[in-house]
Amino acid sequence: MIMDGLYYLAGLMLIAGALFSLVAALGILRLPDFYSRMHAASKAGAVGSGLALLAIALVSFDAAVILRALLGIVFFMLTAPISAHLFARAAYIAGYRPAGGFALDEMNERPDAN
Amino acid sequence: MNLVFLVVTLSLVWAAVTGSFTVLNLLLGAAIGVGAGLFIRERIESPHLLLRLRRILSLALLFFTELALSAWRVAVLVLSPNMKQKIAPAIIAYPLTVSTDVQITLLAHLITLTPGTLSVDVAEDRRVLYIHALEMHDREALIASIKSGFEAKIIEAFQ
Amino acid sequence: MMSGPEFLHLATTISLGILTLALLLTVCKIVIGPSLPDRVLGLDMLVAVAIGYIVVIALRTGFMLYLDIAIALGLVGFLSTVAFARFILQRWEIDKAAQEDHREEARR
Repeated sequence: MIMDGLYYLAGLMLIAGALFSLVAALGILRLPDFYSRMHAASKAGAVGSGLALLAIALVSFDAAVILRALLGIVFFMLTAPISAHLFARAAYIAGYRPAGGFALDEMNERPDAN
Repeated sequence: MNLVFLVVTLSLVWAAVTGSFTVLNLLLGAAIGVGAGLFIRERIESPHLLLRLRRILSLALLFFTELALSAWRVAVLVLSPNMKQKIAPAIIAYPLTVSTDVQITLLAHLITLTPGTLSVDVAEDRRVLYIHALEMHDREALIASIKSGFEAKIIEAFQ
Repeated sequence: MMSGPEFLHLATTISLGILTLALLLTVCKIVIGPSLPDRVLGLDMLVAVAIGYIVVIALRTGFMLYLDIAIALGLVGFLSTVAFARFILQRWEIDKAAQEDHREEARR
């Protein structure tokens, strides 16, 4: 009975993870400017693959697999923000700006701004 | 005490990564752990490791709840039909209180995973962090929430 | 009422369908662009969806070796995004230098 519950939970997590990936994909299509799209890709995307890994950890019943899945989750959580941050910085410095402009851009005022 | 703790943790992680929990493999992991521990000996000799560990754990918990919330908020925003009226993208300058590289990195990391904020760059003098906000309605409120949330916890965990 | 493993199998089928849709949408984004960072972001997203795909297939087939592949793909995807970010920066610097050369020549 408890085993069945675990399987149900894992199945729901898989579907939720897949839905988050779908929302992230929709987000990068729908959001109006590049920096906003980055939000969708870095958050929803990371949560999507993280939930799938968590589902594996729930139903594998094997310590090595569980630890590897958890390590994978930690790894994705660490790398997703780094790539988003680096990428936003590169795009900003290279002069990509949203078509509508920012409501407020305080980075513009810094001394080494381009 | 600290070194023992580190070696045990490292040998367990080693066994997990290599995928076999035999005695021989655990010993190999412990040997590598001792080597690594001797290598960074001066850095880990702090007296309140357990207390710090608890604070770091509470930080990690906050991190995961914020991540879940953040993904949810972005999902709702993307799926709402009048999305274009809702978002107000802005880059704001956040004045940093934390000063070391590790703390700034951690804060930037956590900010990226909070709802609607993404860290873009750190100023040359490390006093200001530039944050891109998806829905910027109140600049002061946003800064205050980060100051009292993540930054306070980081200072608590790393002093 | 389904048993647990049956439900899990159904869930993997549904997730594969949803992930396929996500994959197609991401490919659309990469094709329509419009700018270089948008396309790189699409590639980053593609890697994330592919990782989800591999993990679901690992659960469906029971080969846990796929898990290692997913983690390795995550590493490669991260490094490729970092490389692309550097590429964007470098290209901009080269462009700027070229423009300055051009201006100097025009002045002469």
